[in-house]
Amino acid sequence: MDAEQPHRGFAQFGEFAGMLDADERVRGALRYTADLRLPGMLEGRLVRSQMPHARLLRVDASRARQLSRVVVLTGADLAARLDLGQAYGPVFRDQPILAHDKVRFVGDPVAAVAAPDRDMAEEAADLIEIEYEELPAVFSFDDALRPDAPLVHTAPRLGATLADIIVHSHAGTNICNDFRLRKGDVDAGLAAADLVFEDTFSSPPVQHVPLETHACVAVVEAGQVTVWSSTQTPFNVRAQLAEIFQLPEAQVRVIVPPLGGGFGGKCYPKLEPVTAVLAQAAGRPVRLHLSRAEEFITVTKHGARIHLTTGVNRDGSIVARRSICHFNTGAYADIGPRLIKNGGYASAGPYAIPNVWIDSYAVYTNLPPAGAFRGYGVNQAAWAYETQMDLIAQRLGIDPVELRHRNLLRDGDSLMTGEPMRDAHLNELLQDAASWIGWGDPVTGDRRGHRRGKGVACIIKSTVTPSTSSASLAIDASGVIKVMTSSVEMGQGVATALARIAARHLAVPVGQIQVSTPDTSLTPYDQQTSSSRSTHSMGGALTLAATDLSQQLKRLAGDRLEAASEDLELGGGAVRVRGAPHRRVTFADLAKASPGGSAIGHGTLAVPGGLDAETGQGVASHHWHQAAGAAEVDVDLETGKVTVLRYRASVYAGQVINRVLAELQTEGNVAFGVGQALFEELIFDGGHLVNGNLSDYMIASINDLPEELAVALLEHPENQEVHGIGETSLPPFLAAVGNAVFHATGARVTQLPITPEKLLRLINGA
Amino acid sequence: LSPRLEIYQPDELAEALQILGKLGEGARVLAGGTALSIMLRQKLIGPTALVDIGRIPQLDGIEETDGGLTLGALTRHRAIERSEMIRARLPVLAEAFGLVGNVRVRNQATVGGVVAEADYASDPPTVLVGLDATIRTASLGRSRMHAAADFFRDYYTTALDPDEVIVSVEVPWTPDGLRCRYTKFVTRSAEDRPCLGVFAACRPMEHGRFADIRVVIGAATGRPQRFTDVEAPASGTDLADDICAAVAASYAARIEPIGDVRGSSSYRKEMISVMVRRTLASVRDAA
Repeated sequence: MDAEQPHRGFAQFGEFAGMLDADERVRGALRYTADLRLPGMLEGRLVRSQMPHARLLRVDASRARQLSRVVVLTGADLAARLDLGQAYGPVFRDQPILAHDKVRFVGDPVAAVAAPDRDMAEEAADLIEIEYEELPAVFSFDDALRPDAPLVHTAPRLGATLADIIVHSHAGTNICNDFRLRKGDVDAGLAAADLVFEDTFSSPPVQHVPLETHACVAVVEAGQVTVWSSTQTPFNVRAQLAEIFQLPEAQVRVIVPPLGGGFGGKCYPKLEPVTAVLAQAAGRPVRLHLSRAEEFITVTKHGARIHLTTGVNRDGSIVARRSICHFNTGAYADIGPRLIKNGGYASAGPYAIPNVWIDSYAVYTNLPPAGAFRGYGVNQAAWAYETQMDLIAQRLGIDPVELRHRNLLRDGDSLMTGEPMRDAHLNELLQDAASWIGWGDPVTGDRRGHRRGKGVACIIKSTVTPSTSSASLAIDASGVIKVMTSSVEMGQGVATALARIAARHLAVPVGQIQVSTPDTSLTPYDQQTSSSRSTHSMGGALTLAATDLSQQLKRLAGDRLEAASEDLELGGGAVRVRGAPHRRVTFADLAKASPGGSAIGHGTLAVPGGLDAETGQGVASHHWHQAAGAAEVDVDLETGKVTVLRYRASVYAGQVINRVLAELQTEGNVAFGVGQALFEELIFDGGHLVNGNLSDYMIASINDLPEELAVALLEHPENQEVHGIGETSLPPFLAAVGNAVFHATGARVTQLPITPEKLLRLINGA
Repeated sequence: LSPRLEIYQPDELAEALQILGKLGEGARVLAGGTALSIMLRQKLIGPTALVDIGRIPQLDGIEETDGGLTLGALTRHRAIERSEMIRARLPVLAEAFGLVGNVRVRNQATVGGVVAEADYASDPPTVLVGLDATIRTASLGRSRMHAAADFFRDYYTTALDPDEVIVSVEVPWTPDGLRCRYTKFVTRSAEDRPCLGVFAACRPMEHGRFADIRVVIGAATGRPQRFTDVEAPASGTDLADDICAAVAASYAARIEPIGDVRGSSSYRKEMISVMVRRTLASVRDAA
């Protein structure tokens, strides 16, 4: 077998053309984790539970173990090892590497095998017999929250976790965690309000459907664990592998080749623990690459039910909101304990509400684990509050756009967390979206049996806070410029964005910048590639590194050129004297002359924050992502089918680093939105996923996108702040489409997705 | 140990038939592979051998004859969709094959494959029944012709015997002036399989009357459904809206549709009455 390594440390980019690795991606030349082949490597395969909740009476792997060259592990094998941590998870260590005492969802890994090829691995897997004693299972909130409900976990173990996470214990129930927010006096506010609206909205679980399913290759030898993994969180994976193998983190190395899409689904350990224990048992490299069917049950978006009680005055001002949010986190917590916090406080919306009470729960059930998903709880929250906003507008007889304008957060207003809003652009974004869609103009173009309507929605979204990113920028004696970063390139274009930032600071063409892929043993620390944070946080760290490097170069050049630092400038790959460009010394010569043979700048961007555990007051976000959307839809009144004709996504970007990619990210959000608004839904029957393939589960195709799709990236470069745009424009889409359907038909779907059948029943009043 | 899958790649039809005759039920014919690979992966089938007919030249190609069109079993959906000749002479056929899946699927999927698979949620079978197509099959020493309406039996079930291969699908030219339409109704992505497929045809006569009324419903039950006794009373009428609606209502009343992820049984029933009415009206009004 050829030793082909997709990881090259640095990508050598050619001439800049929008996205640095676009050509390789399109031609299929980019090497992903799944493309990695190491000499002697085995193929892994998991044996999964067929029961949603059951005691494991017997896992008989004896026949599989008789096969030569096949390595077999069961939960019992792992439990017998005192030198091995048994479970993982970013908050609770509740997910066993392999189930031992019981299984908690259909698909829970029970045994793992590794064999020289996939067929042999499958044969071995098929020989493992599992005997279950079925236990009562819970799937819905109502079942899981009954006082006598069977427990998915009796006492999940809390591990060392992330800085912003708040945990409240609920032992003896299926509540995994809750988040509380108390601002003002919500009872008094609701009592004093002219009108009180009470509504429940729900969102189903859906899947990320990345083109690349999860993949991992592991090598464990000589006390060193090395994994190549399709992960968005290399340092978190490193920490948890170190915990499992009881090693110092320095002896664990996580390398991340480019990802074929992440969308949140590749955050925190997934395949790494089991692949690594297989590799250790085999004494050889092991590769595990999920099938599409397995991908569907590895992680999902949280199904959610959100109950909003909102008090408003006749002038439209919102005076109080009580929000009770339930998020179905499935069989294992994953990042649910944090997501319910972000989704919870998000349910107050982008509005200045003086009295807010939020209870947000992560609920364990016997469904596949739910985790991070593009939008991170805000999709579910915004579907609720922006849908209710139009119900309020209708009842009060106030135009929905006007109602929002009256309540939107402005600079200095107090957010739900008590922090002051700054850099607020919500009115501007809503104005842009509404005006583009022709809000207020009569709807034209109705065909017979069809009705058109328009709708808007606005959101704010936090970014993970506190947050730390580090980068370094190096020039070596050959003049090669390298960005050392642990940001994960997953198709979003972070490498391109970072190359542009470095190029701008050093005044060189983008094509001269090399950007590393993450390698926890080589590249500087980064918290994670998620939360729409990399261009802001890593870009910020890189800007500091570039400033540091520029100062060093100028200092070195100042001695050579006998000029003061402030008289020097960077240009043409050299430091030169301002006004006398022939007096110059190249970066390469400066690096050569420097003591280490290269010049390196370092930068770390760390921002503080955090919320009070009991009141949810404090700083939830270093800055707030803001977006509005406006949709025009056509509804076929006889079939209930909705077509999104036109859509405007208006997003606050602060400062655009790469316009092409920022627009494409936003269009990608709309594509996600189309599927989730109109048809995506994981359907379970007794805990079994019935549509876990790409024939029975559809995602939006290019032909489902609005005929007219416009992106507005609002910039205020004078603020010098980059706002991530990877997720922001997704949540408004769902509610804007729902509101447009409401406008067209008067029918209000409260449970996503807005399927033709569901809508038709409402239109017909059934 | 589970038996390994054997793969045969004959160059001649006779050779393929011999292999199939010898292997019997354990063998499956592989053409484009779009359906077969999914069934294999989901373990819906467990053949011991695959007979790849993709190298048999006589099974490929589109032929124009006096009586109609002969589509070799290996003809790709995309080839039918793009054939200038078919688009000119049987446009509804090109349209229906052009509605399947997406272009990547259509570049691979074959006419023999879609007929043999007999997935209820599929577009071409409905149109083939509507156009009175016949399916030519062969086994060792035997050749058969099946009317499409008889060939499709039930969900994923056809008249094809395990030792038989589909050789071609033959579609007769439609009578002069016959107007045909196929409506694919999807409830999810544009690339979805149909929730419902409706083929309708009519031939204008003098005085605004229409003859040759045909209606075939696909994707609702195990096989395409056509009720000539429901069509017949509409023949010779002006196909006014109420007549279209009456035909549609009769089809809806006769059919007990399946419920699946694309729509419940009752929703499909309702959609039959909407889509039959609309498709008939559109074929009536077509220039």
